[in-house]
Amino acid sequence: MSIYPRTIAVGFDGSPDAVSACAWAMATGRRLEAHLVLVHARGLLDRFDRRDPRALFGDVVSELATRHAFNEARLSWHVADGDACSVLLRCAEAPVFADLVVVGSRGRDEHAGMLIGSTSLQLAERSAIPVVIVPSTTSEYHEP
Amino acid sequence: MLITNEVPDGAGHEDPGHPERPDRLIAVREGLEDLALGDELVTVGLRSATRLELLRVHQGAYLDELGAFCYEGGGDIDEDTYATYDSWPLAQLAAGAGLAVVDELARRGDGVGFVAVRPPGHHALPDRAMGFCLLNNVAVTAAALRSAGERVLVLDWDVHHGNGTQSIFWNDPDVLYVSCHQWPLFPGSGVPSEIGGLAALDRIVNLPLPAGATGDVVARAFEEVAGPVIDEFAPTWVLVSAGFDGHRDDPMADFALSSGDFAHLATWAAGLAPAPGRLAVFLEGGYDLAALRHSVRATLSAVLGDPSANEAPTNGGPGSDQIGRTLRERASTLTLVTAQRDAEEAS
Repeated sequence: MSIYPRTIAVGFDGSPDAVSACAWAMATGRRLEAHLVLVHARGLLDRFDRRDPRALFGDVVSELATRHAFNEARLSWHVADGDACSVLLRCAEAPVFADLVVVGSRGRDEHAGMLIGSTSLQLAERSAIPVVIVPSTTSEYHEP
Repeated sequence: MLITNEVPDGAGHEDPGHPERPDRLIAVREGLEDLALGDELVTVGLRSATRLELLRVHQGAYLDELGAFCYEGGGDIDEDTYATYDSWPLAQLAAGAGLAVVDELARRGDGVGFVAVRPPGHHALPDRAMGFCLLNNVAVTAAALRSAGERVLVLDWDVHHGNGTQSIFWNDPDVLYVSCHQWPLFPGSGVPSEIGGLAALDRIVNLPLPAGATGDVVARAFEEVAGPVIDEFAPTWVLVSAGFDGHRDDPMADFALSSGDFAHLATWAAGLAPAPGRLAVFLEGGYDLAALRHSVRATLSAVLGDPSANEAPTNGGPGSDQIGRTLRERASTLTLVTAQRDAEEAS
C-alpha cells in the first residue's frame, strides 16, 4: 500500500482560502498522480437558493487546473448535505474514500479569531485521516 | 387550555432576504388567533434563560464568544447562520420562553404549552451555532426538566434532523430523542444506526424518509418504530420540536405533508403525554408563511383535542420500505453495540 495519498478531498466553497487550498492540492496531486475530489457541503441556503456549486465554481476550477497543469479527468465533485466539517469528516468513508483532506484556513463566512465557526480547527481535531490546512497568508497558492 | 409565551418582537434578529425572518412569528401569531381560544389562551411573560440554565446544554466558551460576537455587531457565523447585535438577548429570550411555559404548565397541572420563538434551536450544538440556530431552545427546557428528575421525550418532526438536540442528549438515559426527517438532507446526520451513547443505548430514534414522503408514511414511522421505544421509556414530559418545513409548500425541503398531517401527528403526540400539563410544542422551522400559519393552527387545534385543518391528510408517498430497513438497522446496531459493551465490561 502506498504511503502517498491516492485520493485527495478538497473542501471547496468558493472562498479565497478554498481557491488557495485547491491550488495546493492540484499542485500536489499532479506530482503524486492522485485523484482530486472537490467537496462541497450543501447547507440550508444552498438548497433554498437552488445553488449548484458545479455551475457556480466550474470556471474557477477549470482555470486553476489549467494554471497548475492538473488533468481535469482526474477531478470530480462530491456535493453532500450538511455542514462543512461533518461532510469533510465523512470523506474518509464511501463514496469518496479520501486519504487526505485539504482545506483553507477560513471558509466563506468564517471570521478570523472566531473559534465557533472554524471548520479547519474542528476538522484537524476530529479527522481520522491527515488534514492539510492551507494558510490564508497569500490570496492564492503559488508553486515554488 | 393553551399556555404560550408572549411573542417577542424579533425584528432585531434579521438578515434581509434570509428565510428565517421576523414575519414567521407574525404568521404563527395569526395561526394562533385563527383558533379564537378566548379565555382558554394563557400568555406568560418572557424571561431570558440564565447562564446556568444555558450551561446545561452549551459550553461556556461558546456562550461567551457568541455574546461577544453579537455585541460587536454580529455577521455571518457560517453559510446559513447569522447573528446581529440584538441576536444574543433575543436568543436568550427564546431559550427562556420554554422554561416559563413549562413552569406555568407545572403550576397549573393542566393545559398544553406552545413555545413560539425564533431563532429556532434544534441544530445548535453544545459548542456552536448551526442551521439558523444559535441556542438550543428545546434542549434548554428538556435539560431543566431532566435536572428536576423528569424523564423527557423530545419528539422532532421538523423536516431536518435535529443534530444539535441529538448531540446534547447522546449519552443521557433520561432523555429520549425521536426524529423523523427527510434524508439525505441537511445536516446529513440522523441515520438509524445512531442509537445513543453507551450510557444511553436506544435513547435516540432516527426515522429517515425519502423526498416526497406523505403523512401516512411519516405517521407509520413514528408509530411503528418509535412507538414501542417510547412506551418502554415511559416519559413524564413530552416536548415537541415542531418544524413545519415538511409542508409540501415549504421551499426548504421535499416532504409532501399538509396541515392535516400535522394535526394527525399532533394528536398522536398529545396521546403520549402521561398527564395533563405535560406536553409543550416548540416552534422550529417552517418558511412558507401561509403553510406555517395553517400548520400551526392545525397542530394546536389537535393538541387541544379538537383537530381541524384546511388541508386533508396525505398518503401514498414513498418511504414505506424504508421503515422496515430502519427497524432492522436499529436492531442490528443495538445487538452489536450491546455485545461490544458487555464484552468490554466483562474484560
